[in-house]
Amino acid sequence: MSLIFKSKNLSLGYGNQLVIKNKDISLELSKNYEIIGKNGSGKTTLIMCISNNFIGNTFKSGIERGNNSIIEIGSTPSLVPKMSLIENINYFLHNENLVDENVIEILNKYELYNFKDDLIEEFSSGMVKRSEIAIADIKNPDVLCVDEPVVYLDENGVKLLFDLFSKRESLGKTTILSSQESINALDNVERTINLND
Amino acid sequence: MIKKFIIKKEINMEFRNNTSLFLITPTMCVLIILFPILSENRFRVDNDIFLIVELLFLIIFTTLFSIRNPLDEQKLVKELNFGTIKKVDYFYSKTAAEVGIFYPQIILLLILFSGFTNTSLNSSLIHISLAVLFFCLNTIMINLFFQVFTTFSNRFVQFTLIVPIYIGFAILIAPLWLGVNQDISNIYLMMYLGITLVVYSFTNFYLRSAK
Repeated sequence: MSLIFKSKNLSLGYGNQLVIKNKDISLELSKNYEIIGKNGSGKTTLIMCISNNFIGNTFKSGIERGNNSIIEIGSTPSLVPKMSLIENINYFLHNENLVDENVIEILNKYELYNFKDDLIEEFSSGMVKRSEIAIADIKNPDVLCVDEPVVYLDENGVKLLFDLFSKRESLGKTTILSSQESINALDNVERTINLND
Repeated sequence: MIKKFIIKKEINMEFRNNTSLFLITPTMCVLIILFPILSENRFRVDNDIFLIVELLFLIIFTTLFSIRNPLDEQKLVKELNFGTIKKVDYFYSKTAAEVGIFYPQIILLLILFSGFTNTSLNSSLIHISLAVLFFCLNTIMINLFFQVFTTFSNRFVQFTLIVPIYIGFAILIAPLWLGVNQDISNIYLMMYLGITLVVYSFTNFYLRSAK
Protein backbone atom coordinates (compact mmCIF):
# COMPACT_ATOMS: atom_id res chain seq x y z
CA MET A 1 0.00 0.00 0.00
CA SER A 2 1.19 3.50 -0.83
CA LEU A 3 2.05 5.68 2.13
CA ILE A 4 0.42 9.04 2.79
CA PHE A 5 1.82 9.91 6.20
CA LYS A 6 3.65 8.04 8.93
CA SER A 7 5.05 9.04 12.28
CA LYS A 8 5.98 7.22 15.46
CA ASN A 9 5.58 9.31 18.60
CA LEU A 10 4.14 12.26 16.73
CA SER A 11 4.33 15.37 18.87
CA LEU A 12 3.13 18.73 17.60
CA GLY A 13 2.93 22.11 19.21
CA TYR A 14 3.45 25.82 19.04
CA GLY A 15 6.65 27.04 20.70
CA ASN A 16 7.18 24.73 23.66
CA GLN A 17 3.48 24.06 24.17
CA LEU A 18 2.50 20.55 23.13
CA VAL A 19 -0.86 20.08 21.42
CA ILE A 20 -0.44 16.46 20.30
CA LYS A 21 1.76 14.12 22.31
CA ASN A 22 3.33 10.80 21.28
CA LYS A 23 0.73 9.59 18.76
CA ASP A 24 1.55 6.71 16.40
CA ILE A 25 -0.04 7.53 13.08
CA SER A 26 0.21 5.65 9.79
CA LEU A 27 -2.06 6.56 6.89
CA GLU A 28 -2.24 4.69 3.58
CA LEU A 29 -3.67 5.57 0.21
CA SER A 30 -7.18 4.38 -0.83
CA LYS A 31 -8.37 4.23 2.77
CA ASN A 32 -10.46 6.73 4.71
CA TYR A 33 -9.72 8.12 8.12
CA GLU A 34 -11.52 10.15 10.76
CA ILE A 35 -10.04 12.34 13.46
CA ILE A 36 -12.31 13.10 16.39
CA GLY A 37 -11.75 15.13 19.53
CA LYS A 38 -13.14 17.90 21.64
CA ASN A 39 -12.18 21.57 21.31
CA GLY A 40 -8.46 22.15 21.77
CA SER A 41 -7.56 18.48 21.42
CA GLY A 42 -5.43 19.16 18.31
CA LYS A 43 -7.69 18.04 15.43
CA THR A 44 -6.89 21.05 13.26
CA THR A 45 -3.18 20.85 14.11
CA LEU A 46 -3.07 17.16 13.16
CA ILE A 47 -4.99 17.57 9.90
CA MET A 48 -2.76 20.53 8.98
CA CYS A 49 0.31 18.42 9.70
CA ILE A 50 -1.00 15.55 7.54
CA SER A 51 -1.73 17.95 4.69
CA ASN A 52 1.71 19.61 5.09
CA ASN A 53 0.18 22.94 6.08
CA PHE A 54 1.42 22.92 9.67
CA ILE A 55 3.72 25.74 10.72
CA GLY A 56 4.85 25.02 14.24
CA ASN A 57 7.11 22.71 16.20
CA THR A 58 7.20 19.02 15.19
CA PHE A 59 9.61 18.02 18.02
CA LYS A 60 11.66 15.64 15.81
CA SER A 61 8.66 13.39 15.22
CA GLY A 62 10.33 11.56 12.32
CA ILE A 63 7.58 12.23 9.80
CA GLU A 64 7.53 10.24 6.55
CA ARG A 65 5.37 11.34 3.63
CA GLY A 66 4.34 9.71 0.38
CA ASN A 67 4.42 11.53 -2.92
CA ASN A 68 0.66 12.12 -3.22
CA SER A 69 -1.39 15.17 -4.08
CA ILE A 70 -3.09 16.42 -0.92
CA ILE A 71 -5.66 19.18 -0.57
CA GLU A 72 -6.92 20.51 2.72
CA ILE A 73 -10.21 22.30 3.18
CA GLY A 74 -9.59 23.83 6.56
CA SER A 75 -11.01 26.20 9.08
CA THR A 76 -9.37 29.13 7.30
CA PRO A 77 -9.93 29.48 3.54
CA SER A 78 -7.13 28.89 1.03
CA LEU A 79 -8.69 30.95 -1.75
CA VAL A 80 -7.30 34.35 -2.74
CA PRO A 81 -9.83 36.93 -1.45
CA LYS A 82 -9.05 39.68 -3.97
CA MET A 83 -9.73 37.42 -6.97
CA SER A 84 -13.03 36.27 -8.42
CA LEU A 85 -14.14 32.66 -8.18
CA ILE A 86 -13.29 31.93 -11.81
CA GLU A 87 -9.87 33.58 -11.40
CA ASN A 88 -9.26 31.43 -8.33
CA ILE A 89 -10.27 28.32 -10.28
CA ASN A 90 -7.91 29.21 -13.12
CA TYR A 91 -5.11 29.94 -10.64
CA PHE A 92 -5.52 26.75 -8.63
CA LEU A 93 -5.90 24.66 -11.80
CA HIS A 94 -2.70 26.23 -13.18
CA ASN A 95 -4.46 27.68 -16.20
CA GLU A 96 -4.53 31.21 -17.50
CA ASN A 97 -7.94 31.42 -19.09
CA LEU A 98 -9.99 28.32 -18.75
CA VAL A 99 -13.71 27.96 -18.52
CA ASP A 100 -14.24 24.50 -19.99
CA GLU A 101 -17.37 22.37 -19.88
CA ASN A 102 -16.22 20.37 -16.86
CA VAL A 103 -15.71 23.56 -14.82
CA ILE A 104 -19.09 24.96 -15.85
CA GLU A 105 -20.78 21.66 -15.00
CA ILE A 106 -19.22 21.58 -11.53
CA LEU A 107 -19.98 25.26 -10.88
CA ASN A 108 -23.61 24.57 -11.78
CA LYS A 109 -23.65 21.48 -9.57
CA TYR A 110 -22.44 23.53 -6.58
CA GLU A 111 -24.80 26.42 -7.51
CA LEU A 112 -21.84 28.77 -7.98
CA TYR A 113 -22.06 29.57 -11.70
CA ASN A 114 -23.91 32.87 -11.18
CA PHE A 115 -21.22 33.98 -8.72
CA LYS A 116 -18.21 33.03 -10.83
CA ASP A 117 -17.22 36.65 -11.51
CA ASP A 118 -17.68 37.85 -7.90
CA LEU A 119 -14.72 38.43 -5.62
CA ILE A 120 -14.14 35.79 -2.95
CA GLU A 121 -13.92 38.51 -0.26
CA GLU A 122 -17.59 39.27 -0.96
CA PHE A 123 -18.63 35.64 -0.37
CA SER A 124 -20.14 34.30 2.85
CA SER A 125 -18.21 31.62 4.77
CA GLY A 126 -20.57 28.96 3.40
CA MET A 127 -20.02 30.11 -0.18
CA VAL A 128 -16.24 30.12 0.31
CA LYS A 129 -16.41 26.56 1.62
CA ARG A 130 -18.61 25.51 -1.31
CA SER A 131 -16.10 27.09 -3.69
CA GLU A 132 -13.23 25.18 -2.07
CA ILE A 133 -15.19 21.94 -2.31
CA ALA A 134 -15.93 22.64 -5.99
CA ILE A 135 -12.21 23.23 -6.69
CA ALA A 136 -11.33 20.04 -4.78
CA ASP A 137 -13.92 18.21 -6.91
CA ILE A 138 -12.34 19.52 -10.13
CA LYS A 139 -8.77 18.81 -8.99
CA ASN A 140 -9.68 15.36 -7.61
CA PRO A 141 -6.54 14.96 -5.44
CA ASP A 142 -5.25 11.61 -4.09
CA VAL A 143 -5.99 12.76 -0.54
CA LEU A 144 -8.67 15.21 0.58
CA CYS A 145 -8.50 16.46 4.17
CA VAL A 146 -11.56 18.29 5.48
CA ASP A 147 -11.55 20.00 8.85
CA GLU A 148 -15.03 20.31 10.40
CA PRO A 149 -16.79 19.20 7.17
CA VAL A 150 -20.32 20.42 7.84
CA VAL A 151 -19.49 23.75 9.47
CA TYR A 152 -20.83 26.76 7.46
CA LEU A 153 -22.69 24.51 4.99
CA ASP A 154 -26.45 24.45 4.55
CA GLU A 155 -28.44 21.23 4.05
CA ASN A 156 -27.85 21.16 0.28
CA GLY A 157 -24.15 21.95 0.75
CA VAL A 158 -23.77 19.05 3.19
CA LYS A 159 -25.49 16.72 0.69
CA LEU A 160 -23.14 17.84 -2.12
CA LEU A 161 -20.14 17.31 0.16
CA PHE A 162 -21.29 13.82 1.17
CA ASP A 163 -21.87 13.00 -2.54
CA LEU A 164 -18.28 14.05 -3.22
CA PHE A 165 -17.07 11.73 -0.45
CA SER A 166 -19.06 8.83 -1.98
CA LYS A 167 -17.64 9.59 -5.44
CA ARG A 168 -14.11 9.62 -4.02
CA GLU A 169 -14.68 6.30 -2.23
CA SER A 170 -15.84 4.72 -5.46
CA LEU A 171 -12.69 6.03 -7.19
CA GLY A 172 -10.46 4.60 -4.45
CA LYS A 173 -9.30 8.04 -3.26
CA THR A 174 -8.53 8.85 0.36
CA THR A 175 -10.62 11.21 2.46
CA ILE A 176 -9.62 12.35 5.95
CA LEU A 177 -12.18 14.13 8.09
CA SER A 178 -11.84 15.84 11.45
CA SER A 179 -14.74 16.81 13.67
CA GLN A 180 -15.82 16.77 17.29
CA GLU A 181 -17.62 13.47 16.82
CA SER A 182 -18.09 11.04 13.96
CA ILE A 183 -20.49 12.44 11.36
CA ASN A 184 -20.92 9.13 9.47
CA ALA A 185 -20.09 10.74 6.14
CA LEU A 186 -17.86 7.90 4.95
CA ASP A 187 -18.98 4.32 4.28
CA ASN A 188 -15.65 2.69 5.02
CA VAL A 189 -13.38 4.18 7.66
CA GLU A 190 -10.04 2.41 8.15
CA ARG A 191 -9.23 4.07 11.45
CA THR A 192 -10.73 6.68 13.75
CA ILE A 193 -8.02 8.65 15.52
CA ASN A 194 -9.51 9.68 18.82
CA LEU A 195 -7.66 12.66 20.31
CA ASN A 196 -9.74 12.56 23.50
CA ASP A 197 -7.72 9.56 24.76
CA MET B 1 10.17 27.38 -13.27
CA ILE B 2 8.41 30.63 -14.17
CA LYS B 3 4.67 30.02 -14.46
CA LYS B 4 2.45 32.46 -16.32
CA PHE B 5 -0.59 31.80 -14.15
CA ILE B 6 1.32 32.87 -11.00
CA ILE B 7 2.65 36.02 -12.70
CA LYS B 8 -0.88 36.88 -13.86
CA LYS B 9 -2.23 36.41 -10.34
CA GLU B 10 0.52 38.52 -8.75
CA ILE B 11 0.03 41.38 -11.21
CA ASN B 12 -3.74 41.27 -10.69
CA MET B 13 -3.21 41.38 -6.93
CA GLU B 14 -0.85 44.36 -7.27
CA PHE B 15 -3.48 46.37 -9.13
CA ARG B 16 -6.26 45.38 -6.76
CA ASN B 17 -4.29 45.98 -3.56
CA ASN B 18 -3.62 49.60 -4.59
CA THR B 19 -0.29 49.61 -2.74
CA SER B 20 2.73 50.47 -4.84
CA LEU B 21 1.05 51.92 -7.89
CA PHE B 22 -1.39 54.18 -6.14
CA LEU B 23 0.34 54.96 -2.86
CA ILE B 24 4.11 54.63 -3.01
CA THR B 25 4.67 56.07 -6.48
CA PRO B 26 2.73 59.32 -5.91
CA THR B 27 4.38 59.72 -2.48
CA MET B 28 7.82 59.43 -4.03
CA CYS B 29 6.87 61.81 -6.84
CA VAL B 30 5.77 64.43 -4.34
CA LEU B 31 9.02 63.95 -2.39
CA ILE B 32 11.08 64.39 -5.51
CA ILE B 33 9.20 67.50 -6.59
CA LEU B 34 9.34 69.06 -3.14
CA PHE B 35 12.91 68.07 -2.26
CA PRO B 36 14.84 70.70 -4.26
CA ILE B 37 12.45 73.45 -3.26
CA LEU B 38 12.69 72.54 0.41
CA SER B 39 16.45 72.03 0.45
CA GLU B 40 17.69 74.90 -1.66
CA ASN B 41 14.59 76.86 -2.54
CA ARG B 42 15.10 76.26 -6.28
CA PHE B 43 14.79 73.53 -8.90
CA ARG B 44 18.50 72.82 -8.96
CA VAL B 45 20.49 70.58 -6.62
CA ASP B 46 24.26 70.82 -6.25
CA ASN B 47 26.14 67.95 -7.85
CA ASP B 48 27.86 66.89 -4.63
CA ILE B 49 24.63 65.98 -2.91
CA PHE B 50 22.76 64.87 -6.03
CA LEU B 51 24.11 61.32 -5.95
CA ILE B 52 23.60 60.78 -2.22
CA VAL B 53 20.02 62.02 -2.40
CA GLU B 54 19.25 59.94 -5.49
CA LEU B 55 20.62 56.82 -3.77
CA LEU B 56 18.69 57.70 -0.63
CA PHE B 57 15.44 58.03 -2.61
CA LEU B 58 16.17 54.76 -4.38
CA ILE B 59 16.67 52.98 -1.04
CA ILE B 60 13.55 54.58 0.48
CA PHE B 61 11.48 53.66 -2.57
CA THR B 62 12.77 50.07 -2.64
CA THR B 63 12.15 49.67 1.09
CA LEU B 64 8.60 51.02 0.77
CA PHE B 65 8.01 48.64 -2.12
CA SER B 66 9.41 45.67 -0.16
CA ILE B 67 7.34 46.22 2.96
CA ARG B 68 4.14 47.19 1.17
CA ASN B 69 2.47 43.81 1.49
CA PRO B 70 4.30 41.28 3.70
CA LEU B 71 3.49 37.63 3.00
CA ASP B 72 1.67 35.67 5.68
CA GLU B 73 3.61 32.39 5.92
CA GLN B 74 0.62 30.30 7.03
CA LYS B 75 -1.65 31.69 4.29
CA LEU B 76 1.06 31.25 1.67
CA VAL B 77 1.71 27.61 2.63
CA LYS B 78 -2.03 26.86 2.53
CA GLU B 79 -2.45 28.58 -0.83
CA LEU B 80 0.50 26.77 -2.40
CA ASN B 81 -0.59 23.38 -1.06
CA PHE B 82 -4.19 23.94 -2.13
CA GLY B 83 -3.00 24.71 -5.63
CA THR B 84 -0.24 22.04 -5.56
CA ILE B 85 2.20 24.79 -6.52
CA LYS B 86 5.90 24.18 -5.87
CA LYS B 87 7.69 26.77 -3.75
CA VAL B 88 10.45 27.06 -6.35
CA ASP B 89 7.90 27.90 -9.08
CA TYR B 90 6.16 30.39 -6.84
CA PHE B 91 9.46 32.06 -5.87
CA TYR B 92 10.73 32.63 -9.40
CA SER B 93 7.31 33.53 -10.83
CA LYS B 94 6.76 36.06 -8.06
CA THR B 95 10.27 37.43 -8.63
CA ALA B 96 9.48 37.87 -12.34
CA ALA B 97 6.14 39.55 -11.53
CA GLU B 98 7.74 41.90 -8.99
CA VAL B 99 10.52 42.86 -11.41
CA GLY B 100 7.82 43.60 -14.00
CA ILE B 101 6.04 45.87 -11.50
CA PHE B 102 9.08 47.44 -9.86
CA TYR B 103 11.52 48.05 -12.73
CA PRO B 104 9.34 50.54 -14.67
CA GLN B 105 8.61 52.35 -11.42
CA ILE B 106 12.31 52.76 -10.60
CA ILE B 107 13.01 54.01 -14.10
CA LEU B 108 10.13 56.48 -13.68
CA LEU B 109 11.55 57.54 -10.32
CA LEU B 110 14.98 58.20 -11.85
CA ILE B 111 13.51 60.14 -14.78
CA LEU B 112 11.43 62.27 -12.40
CA PHE B 113 14.43 62.87 -10.16
CA SER B 114 16.59 63.86 -13.08
CA GLY B 115 13.87 66.08 -14.52
CA PHE B 116 12.86 67.91 -11.37
CA THR B 117 16.40 68.45 -10.12
CA ASN B 118 17.75 69.55 -13.52
CA THR B 119 20.51 66.98 -13.38
CA SER B 120 21.58 65.14 -16.49
CA LEU B 121 22.83 61.56 -16.85
CA ASN B 122 26.57 61.13 -16.42
CA SER B 123 26.68 57.62 -17.81
CA SER B 124 25.17 55.82 -20.79
CA LEU B 125 21.48 54.93 -20.65
CA ILE B 126 22.21 51.24 -21.27
CA HIS B 127 24.65 51.05 -18.34
CA ILE B 128 22.22 52.75 -15.98
CA SER B 129 19.29 50.58 -17.16
CA LEU B 130 21.32 47.39 -16.71
CA ALA B 131 22.62 48.43 -13.28
CA VAL B 132 19.07 49.25 -12.15
CA LEU B 133 17.82 45.92 -13.50
CA PHE B 134 20.47 44.07 -11.47
CA PHE B 135 19.54 46.18 -8.45
CA CYS B 136 15.84 45.25 -8.92
CA LEU B 137 16.54 41.55 -9.30
CA ASN B 138 18.80 41.40 -6.24
CA THR B 139 16.58 43.41 -3.91
CA ILE B 140 13.46 41.48 -4.92
CA MET B 141 15.10 38.06 -4.53
CA ILE B 142 16.56 39.00 -1.12
CA ASN B 143 13.23 40.41 0.04
CA LEU B 144 11.26 37.35 -1.11
CA PHE B 145 13.85 35.04 0.43
CA PHE B 146 13.41 36.75 3.80
CA GLN B 147 9.63 36.56 3.52
CA VAL B 148 9.27 32.99 2.23
CA PHE B 149 12.04 31.19 4.10
CA THR B 150 12.56 33.01 7.34
CA THR B 151 10.34 34.07 10.19
CA PHE B 152 11.62 37.65 9.74
CA SER B 153 8.52 38.52 7.77
CA ASN B 154 7.05 41.40 9.73
CA ARG B 155 7.59 44.96 8.55
CA PHE B 156 9.92 46.07 11.36
CA VAL B 157 12.31 43.10 11.07
CA GLN B 158 12.19 43.36 7.27
CA PHE B 159 13.09 47.03 7.54
CA THR B 160 16.02 46.60 9.93
CA LEU B 161 17.51 43.58 8.15
CA ILE B 162 16.88 44.47 4.55
CA VAL B 163 17.80 48.17 4.45
CA PRO B 164 21.55 47.58 5.11
CA ILE B 165 21.56 45.03 2.26
CA TYR B 166 19.78 47.51 -0.03
CA ILE B 167 22.35 50.19 0.90
CA GLY B 168 25.08 47.81 -0.29
CA PHE B 169 23.31 47.17 -3.59
CA ALA B 170 22.60 50.88 -4.09
CA ILE B 171 26.21 51.92 -3.42
CA LEU B 172 27.30 49.61 -6.22
CA ILE B 173 25.21 51.69 -8.63
CA ALA B 174 26.85 54.95 -7.55
CA PRO B 175 30.01 54.76 -9.71
CA LEU B 176 27.88 54.01 -12.76
CA TRP B 177 25.81 57.11 -12.12
CA LEU B 178 28.90 59.20 -11.44
CA GLY B 179 29.98 58.59 -14.99
CA VAL B 180 33.20 56.62 -14.67
CA ASN B 181 34.90 55.67 -17.93
CA GLN B 182 33.63 52.85 -20.14
CA ASP B 183 36.11 50.18 -18.95
CA ILE B 184 35.45 50.76 -15.27
CA SER B 185 31.68 50.84 -15.96
CA ASN B 186 31.97 47.43 -17.60
CA ILE B 187 33.88 46.07 -14.60
CA TYR B 188 31.21 47.38 -12.25
CA LEU B 189 28.46 45.82 -14.39
CA MET B 190 30.31 42.48 -14.40
CA MET B 191 30.60 42.73 -10.60
CA TYR B 192 26.88 43.38 -10.36
CA LEU B 193 26.15 40.44 -12.66
CA GLY B 194 28.37 38.25 -10.45
CA ILE B 195 26.54 39.33 -7.30
CA THR B 196 23.18 38.64 -9.02
CA LEU B 197 24.36 35.16 -9.95
CA VAL B 198 25.54 34.51 -6.39
CA VAL B 199 22.16 35.62 -4.96
CA TYR B 200 20.33 33.51 -7.58
CA SER B 201 22.52 30.45 -6.86
CA PHE B 202 22.04 30.79 -3.11
CA THR B 203 18.24 31.09 -3.34
CA ASN B 204 18.13 28.27 -5.90
CA PHE B 205 20.22 25.99 -3.68
CA TYR B 206 18.01 26.83 -0.70
CA LEU B 207 14.80 26.28 -2.68
CA ARG B 208 15.94 22.90 -3.98
CA SER B 209 17.16 21.66 -0.61
CA ALA B 210 14.24 23.01 1.46
CA LYS B 211 11.46 20.50 2.19
